[in-house]
Amino acid sequence: MAKRITIDPISRIEGHLRVDVEVENGAVSNSWASCTMWRGIENILKGRDPREAWLYTQRFCGVCTTVHAIASVRSVEDALKLEIPLNAQYIRNLILINHGLHDHIVHFYHLSALDFVDIMKIPGADPAKTSALAESLTNWPGNSKKAFLAAQNQVKGVAASGQLGIFTNGYWGHPAMRLSPEVNLLAFTHYVQALEYQRKAVQAVAMLGSKSPHIQNLTVGGVSNAINLDSLATLNMDRLVMLKKLMEEVKPFVDQVYLPDVCAIAGMYADWFNYGSGVTNYLASPDLPTDSKNTKFDLVGGYILDGNLSSVKRFSGFRDKVFTDGVTEETKHAWYKGEAPLQPWKGETDPEYTDWQADGKYSWVKAPRFQGRPMQVGPLAQILVGYASGDPLTKKHTDKALDLISTVAGHRIGVEKLQSTMGRHVARAIRASMLAELGEKHWQLLVDNIAKGDVAIHNAPEFNGTAEGVGVHEAPRGLLSHWIVVDGKGTNGKIVNYQAVVPSTWNGSPRDAKGQRGPYEASLLKNPIADPVRPLEAIRTIHSFDPCMACACHTFDPEGKALATIKVL
Amino acid sequence: MKKIKICGVGSVLLGDDAVGPYTARWIAANYEFGEGVEVEDLGTPGLDLIAYMTGIDVLILIDSVENREPAGTVTVYDKAAITRQRPAVRLDPHSPCITESIFVAELAGDSPEFVYLIGVTGEQLDVGAPLSDSVRNAIPLVVEKVLERVVEHGGSFQKRVVPNDAEIWWEAAVSA
Repeated sequence: MAKRITIDPISRIEGHLRVDVEVENGAVSNSWASCTMWRGIENILKGRDPREAWLYTQRFCGVCTTVHAIASVRSVEDALKLEIPLNAQYIRNLILINHGLHDHIVHFYHLSALDFVDIMKIPGADPAKTSALAESLTNWPGNSKKAFLAAQNQVKGVAASGQLGIFTNGYWGHPAMRLSPEVNLLAFTHYVQALEYQRKAVQAVAMLGSKSPHIQNLTVGGVSNAINLDSLATLNMDRLVMLKKLMEEVKPFVDQVYLPDVCAIAGMYADWFNYGSGVTNYLASPDLPTDSKNTKFDLVGGYILDGNLSSVKRFSGFRDKVFTDGVTEETKHAWYKGEAPLQPWKGETDPEYTDWQADGKYSWVKAPRFQGRPMQVGPLAQILVGYASGDPLTKKHTDKALDLISTVAGHRIGVEKLQSTMGRHVARAIRASMLAELGEKHWQLLVDNIAKGDVAIHNAPEFNGTAEGVGVHEAPRGLLSHWIVVDGKGTNGKIVNYQAVVPSTWNGSPRDAKGQRGPYEASLLKNPIADPVRPLEAIRTIHSFDPCMACACHTFDPEGKALATIKVL
Repeated sequence: MKKIKICGVGSVLLGDDAVGPYTARWIAANYEFGEGVEVEDLGTPGLDLIAYMTGIDVLILIDSVENREPAGTVTVYDKAAITRQRPAVRLDPHSPCITESIFVAELAGDSPEFVYLIGVTGEQLDVGAPLSDSVRNAIPLVVEKVLERVVEHGGSFQKRVVPNDAEIWWEAAVSA
């Protein structure tokens, strides 16, 4: 008989991800993903000035601030058919690149790495051997024996103080952990170093956005960074050189540490390329526009159906008709009124709460569908669309990663194997290495454009009746789209409707009217579960998506109620 | 000289959860601090809190708390009290993560020596609602507790003769 396991990180008011799985014969036989808090934040945008919407959407989520800001201004610009000056495009792109790098580094090291890395084994490692291993992988200067010894002593110190015991729910010592003490030490040392580099990426965002986590420099129509290479008060050459220096520090960390670490761990856990494929329809948006009309992009977007890479179709831009016509959201299994699939411009957000019902409504997340199908979004979707459609940049970085993984694994891991739990981690690291390369390019594009004498940063928006717009961004967690309906005349405008279809809605979607599972749910099926009380394997698969469900509330509970409960029924 | 950071955390879109950002902005608008003291509205950084926590000696957080006290109660928690809470399995990186961020920083050997959480017991967390009166009335006490900690750790402050605009933009617009 199947055992039902509930993994519920909440016990009170915040809205977060809850996962229920049924386990039979050591593997997941059924699954549900639900979000436990109603957002409905879109409703407070109605009636407001569209030019201010981004300030609010930036507060949807404290981690994905920048991405909701950019999608929002793009939605209004699309509705008003505004062109964006080149400088503004490049400045925005540089912000998005650095935000993405920060996000990916944190996701891997500080959220996911400890799913695979066992801290408890570190005291038994030989730092000299770790150093020899590391040097065989890359030239990273932080791979000295001294650095590994220091990290090992740090762990020993924390362990001696009894504080490691604090991580009582860490799954260290779990039978599914299998790295050698030396590899554990290697990864942990980089976990510590990653703190410094993710902070540099945040600094780069703040340098252009004037603040982080909430950037201040966007406007509908461009940016507010005045450009004058000779003025101290504006975006000048000094600041641009400082920005470049930060990016030049982060890039080697990505190329020589993050990507090789992910490839090494992937090669050593190569069986995780066999689990977690789930929904194999993929959807990605083009991004990093290189012209003012949003017709040329450095990241390609499109879609793939049924895991068949040769089915790939590219989107021509942010507002490809195939995309806008294809997207609907439905609520048969979500706590909202109505059942019919609605295109987001016509979307409604009227709550209708029931209890958690396995066969009925069980989530605050709507079920977005593309041409009636559940779709997986995220770096994997972006990498597969790029690779399958022959994008040279994607191909270069992906092949490099696959070669390294195959060497470590001792057998060939091809691109099709990326459709898996481990593939999502690998794709994220590949995307990071692409972003790091594109960061150099877009910095140069900006500087060259300014050198030509172009200092334009903004085109003034003008309202002219009712218009629909979609603001699309290929965010760190995947395709994000803000759908807006505006109305107004001249400089007066207001929001008639607003719907945000976020990446974690695609991936964390509940079942739809046809009973099709969302990507989290589908990916858990057949996952091995060695120990139902410690379902590390299910957590590995969920973490591989980089889920973001909070977008919500942040109340601290000093009583220390568990942030996650695992209940075996 | 110690590096002291005062951070308001919470969602400005969710009623009393805005008390952290609100108070941080109010403090920055009304006080000038000596060298080494910074004030920030961090929103809901989740695990990203780590990025703002490393390289700091004293971290003073302002946040709404749920502690079964009457609404508007101000409670100060120190590092030991905060870390008594055990972090559990985390599914997403964005849940409240003050405790876990401290642990990550601790494990990396770069955690602030002193951490304080000035907590305000919230009353409602309604989308788009302004602060409830009980919480709003507690703000002067929160400010007092923050400034006490600043002085205790060698920081200095001066009340601005002419306060800056605190830019509580979400409230002005919500009531419009």
